[in-house]
Amino acid sequence: MRRSLVLIRAVLIRVVPLSIVLWSAACTQAAELHVQPEYLRTAPDGEIVPADRAAAGHPRPSSLAGARMGYVSLQVIAKLGAPGEYSLELTPASGLQVDVFREWYHALDKEKTYYPDALHPVRMPYASRLPEPDNRIPGQKAQAFWVDVWIPGNARPGEYRLQFRLKSPEGAAEVTVPIRVLAATVPEQDVVAIDHNSYGSSWIGDLYARERRRTGADFFRSDAFFKLIHAYHRIFYEHRGLFHQLGYGHAGKVGPEFAPALKGTGRGKHVANWELFDRHYGPLFDGTAFTQTRRGARPIPFAYLPINPEWPASYLWWGEPGYEVEFVNVVSAMERHFREKNWTGTRLELFFNHKKRYMGFPWDGDEVRFPEDNRYLREYGRLLRKAVPQDSPVKFVFRADVSWDMEQQSKDLAGIVNMWICGGGILSWYPDAARAMKQRGDTVWFYSGPPDVTQVSAKITEFPLQAWLWGIDGYVHWLTVDAGPDPWFHFDGGGTALVYSGERFGIEQPIPSIRLKIQRNAVQDLALLDSFKTRRPVVELRAEAARRFNGSRPQDWWNPRPPLADRPSLEWTNDEIDAASAQTRQMLEKTAANSWENVHEFVMQLAGDLK
Amino acid sequence: MKPILMAWLAVSGALAADDRDDRFVRELDDAARVASVMVDGDACARIVTARAMEYLLRDDPKDRFLAGDNYDVNYDAFDSVKKTLIRISRLVSFPADANVWMPIPGHPDKIRVVIRNVNELSQFWPWGALYQNMIPEMKTVLDTGRRVTVAQKPGWVSVLAPVSDSLGEIVAVVEVASQRQLDPQGNVK
Repeated sequence: MRRSLVLIRAVLIRVVPLSIVLWSAACTQAAELHVQPEYLRTAPDGEIVPADRAAAGHPRPSSLAGARMGYVSLQVIAKLGAPGEYSLELTPASGLQVDVFREWYHALDKEKTYYPDALHPVRMPYASRLPEPDNRIPGQKAQAFWVDVWIPGNARPGEYRLQFRLKSPEGAAEVTVPIRVLAATVPEQDVVAIDHNSYGSSWIGDLYARERRRTGADFFRSDAFFKLIHAYHRIFYEHRGLFHQLGYGHAGKVGPEFAPALKGTGRGKHVANWELFDRHYGPLFDGTAFTQTRRGARPIPFAYLPINPEWPASYLWWGEPGYEVEFVNVVSAMERHFREKNWTGTRLELFFNHKKRYMGFPWDGDEVRFPEDNRYLREYGRLLRKAVPQDSPVKFVFRADVSWDMEQQSKDLAGIVNMWICGGGILSWYPDAARAMKQRGDTVWFYSGPPDVTQVSAKITEFPLQAWLWGIDGYVHWLTVDAGPDPWFHFDGGGTALVYSGERFGIEQPIPSIRLKIQRNAVQDLALLDSFKTRRPVVELRAEAARRFNGSRPQDWWNPRPPLADRPSLEWTNDEIDAASAQTRQMLEKTAANSWENVHEFVMQLAGDLK
Repeated sequence: MKPILMAWLAVSGALAADDRDDRFVRELDDAARVASVMVDGDACARIVTARAMEYLLRDDPKDRFLAGDNYDVNYDAFDSVKKTLIRISRLVSFPADANVWMPIPGHPDKIRVVIRNVNELSQFWPWGALYQNMIPEMKTVLDTGRRVTVAQKPGWVSVLAPVSDSLGEIVAVVEVASQRQLDPQGNVK
């Protein structure tokens, strides 16, 4: 019965004229091949997902354009009328490099629907059947593929074509996608740093249970373990981002791979062993972990140090001479070790993450609210200065993650803290504080978290754009590796994940997400856009980018200073903070799936002017 | 005494007898015994500020972080007790933590942890809780002044010991805790 239906519905090969990009051609016949821009995600029935649907009717680009040393992305959707086998083939364009990923449809318990996000790398030709056996979606009619086109630095500017061909018992379909390569080159350095945070390493053992079983009891000391850590750094680096792993807990426990092993006490406290630390950080600090990447080998720009109130000095000696001796001796030894290894390309962050509500220590290191706690930061600033020679080529920085009292802290701790990670809502009241911190050479980022997959696809582009419009250095997703206990069939939305374990696909490393790809493309656009400030004032570039994104002005991305800001932060409530940040929040409610596409077109327009 | 508590005491007594020759348990018990002498109950009572105590039990559906955001301690009292706890944990020849727990005045059905230590070892603390329902074993310690050994979770042992103030009142419980197989990566978060 099913077989005869397939035969009846079989259609001829449908060839899309080369001069026309057929974006999601309406076709009632079986064996269809659709192309969608990166910002229109589709469901297992082939329809645009609800979050992105409003943008589906807007004009679409006539061709895909990209600069050299950058990516162009699109989605190809294979659709069948009935369950059955199919294959997808790609004829790549000579001179371009193409990566194809099968989009995984996550079952969302709360919304009772499916959204694509995890990207399973596949080789062309790809052969499978619908419904995809592993995704297990009853009645699945369509399978979307994410296509990344890497334009090498030596690519010849001009028109290229990718051809995709779908084959199935229902018939075949073909589509050709023109890619316009511009003469412009995406700068190597990003104008905003996009950081992806995580805590500890135990989650690696959980996500790669098969690898852990294979390796045995010594997994956390094995090459496989360190390869996985480096793979996480690599995937974020390849997506124009950074990766941070905090190596200690709220009461000061340090993971053995995050710090040199120490022995002794008081004057006798010393580094006994660098083995695990060097295996972990050596390839990251000298850049060799990135030799096989398209962006090339480069040291990671930032890393947490393991320093906390309990390491390297025991809290038992806090306030006594022994604390200073233990701290200074060990941190000095670290500085010497890094200098001898020539690990001078990474900024090493002295950072305190603990909160007194977790009862490990009597002061807040993270998000100080009680001004008296700042005295601890001053003391650690003194200890750091004592431990690290002033002319050291090793870059130690003092980082503070701030929210409540950030305006006052930015003044009181000037010259002590020089890396500020600011809560975005509260920072939005203080453009002058951000400007002052930047003017004295401090690094300034803001933080929030990844948007759920159920939000519009361009939601994730707000963060890099906001950082650039604000004139600050970067942004942190506070947690990016925790996709929940079952992201595949009972997904929580991905608010703490931008990558997934590849283990279920036989890949012992992380795999990317659609949101990570969209973010990367926005970050590379910003790097290119900012490079045009040699031709046009940056204020004009910012104004036009904001206008194209959502019809806003750069000043709309700041909130007016609320009366609240002139009261002691101890009196504030979270309700009041939310209310005082409402203006930007409401503005950003208008972000559409194609908001970034409008900015991208502006960037390509400027890039196209380059000869 | 409630039947459940009596049954539990019987179990915990049996457990202590079974483990009499267990060096692991014995060292924890020795440390807990010392804790009862060394930890200053008056200092414990001064740790959390009066302002933080006012917020502790407030439940605001519009602000779920209200109590945590207002949690504060007196540095000197905290440090004094914490340093004593660190010293007590060093009486043990393997990694162990000594934590202080205290009841909440006027809320006999609640208990709160006040100081934790480096390995974050506890059989009782659900991560992030400012307070929680009274733990029957701790209530026993507070009511009777007896040390109690608890091995609820496989591989874990906690010895709970009473802490008194200058009036002779039992005001806190020290939990000296360890795991037979420590996870080096655990609690690094």
